[in-house]
Amino acid sequence: MSERTSSRAGFRELLDHLVEHGGALTALLVTRQGSVVSEAGRTGYLNTTAMAALVAGMFSATKEVARMVGESQFSILLQQGEKRHIHISLVSGDIMMVVIFEDYSRIGQVRHEARKAGEKLTALLAQPKEVRPEPEEATVTQFREYALNLIDRIFQT
Amino acid sequence: MPYISYENRQIQFKIVYFGPGLSGKTTNLSWIHRVLAPEVKGELVMLNTDEDRTLFFDFFPVELGQVDGYHIRINLYTVPGQVYYEASRRLVLDGADGVVFVADSNESRIEANLEMFDLMRASFQHYDWDLRTFPLMMQYNKRDCPDPIPLGAVERKMGCADLPVRESIAIRGVGVLETIRDISRMVVARFEM
Repeated sequence: MSERTSSRAGFRELLDHLVEHGGALTALLVTRQGSVVSEAGRTGYLNTTAMAALVAGMFSATKEVARMVGESQFSILLQQGEKRHIHISLVSGDIMMVVIFEDYSRIGQVRHEARKAGEKLTALLAQPKEVRPEPEEATVTQFREYALNLIDRIFQT
Repeated sequence: MPYISYENRQIQFKIVYFGPGLSGKTTNLSWIHRVLAPEVKGELVMLNTDEDRTLFFDFFPVELGQVDGYHIRINLYTVPGQVYYEASRRLVLDGADGVVFVADSNESRIEANLEMFDLMRASFQHYDWDLRTFPLMMQYNKRDCPDPIPLGAVERKMGCADLPVRESIAIRGVGVLETIRDISRMVVARFEM
């Protein structure tokens, strides 16, 4: 399959560790295009799909702002609320790490753990990707046919 | 290129509604969101100005179901139509697998259609997408207006005569589902495993 990003088991472990040791509520990995790669911690209160789309948009916009002031990008975004705060960092050119936490006095710890997790994620992303066997043409054709049927069913008039 | 996660068994496509201001991009998305069954649609997110014009994008995901154990999702986006939001438009277009150009059929909006088509073409060049092969279709909206422009008028003037076309009156839902069905089919037909 032509692959944009493949999430791996290691991502989840890193996020779990970050949530536990950073005292965070939730941690997400989000692609630049707005898809969730992995998530950890509490997510029941959060629409992670919409969150990913918004964070990706926010980061893209911030990158443009950075460019306007002569920076290639701002690597960290911090949003401070009354009860909840968000720390977003760019892990690679394509992946962002979102950490939601409640106790602002732990910002130093969050930053520290996010930076450590980011370094490990960068190393994971740099590993050679698993080579997957090319599927047979019949499989691909069948896949497309099934997907087209779903489209016709969902968007029926 | 679609996003594929082997671990989560998920394939996601991105479809973007492009076009000049007030041509009906948000109306298309709102209608689709309104008529789809609750279990297949996510929350509709709208980032608007105080005047209810799209500031950044509208967005919602559609879960098509499973094929071969993979969850198939289509993420639908609109771009802001006002000319001065060009940077935002380009950002939203990033990573798109298919584009619907929503043209305004009012005669008075022909220049706005052409200008936006030209900006779209520039973005396609920026991302190195070929207009002739990329899943792109035209939707001529507001066909109930007096003396609507002929179908194909915009793309013909821009030298792209062979694009697939649908007519619509998005505010009444006419042609809306047909359009999303067509573009989704085009995107999936091009999908390579």
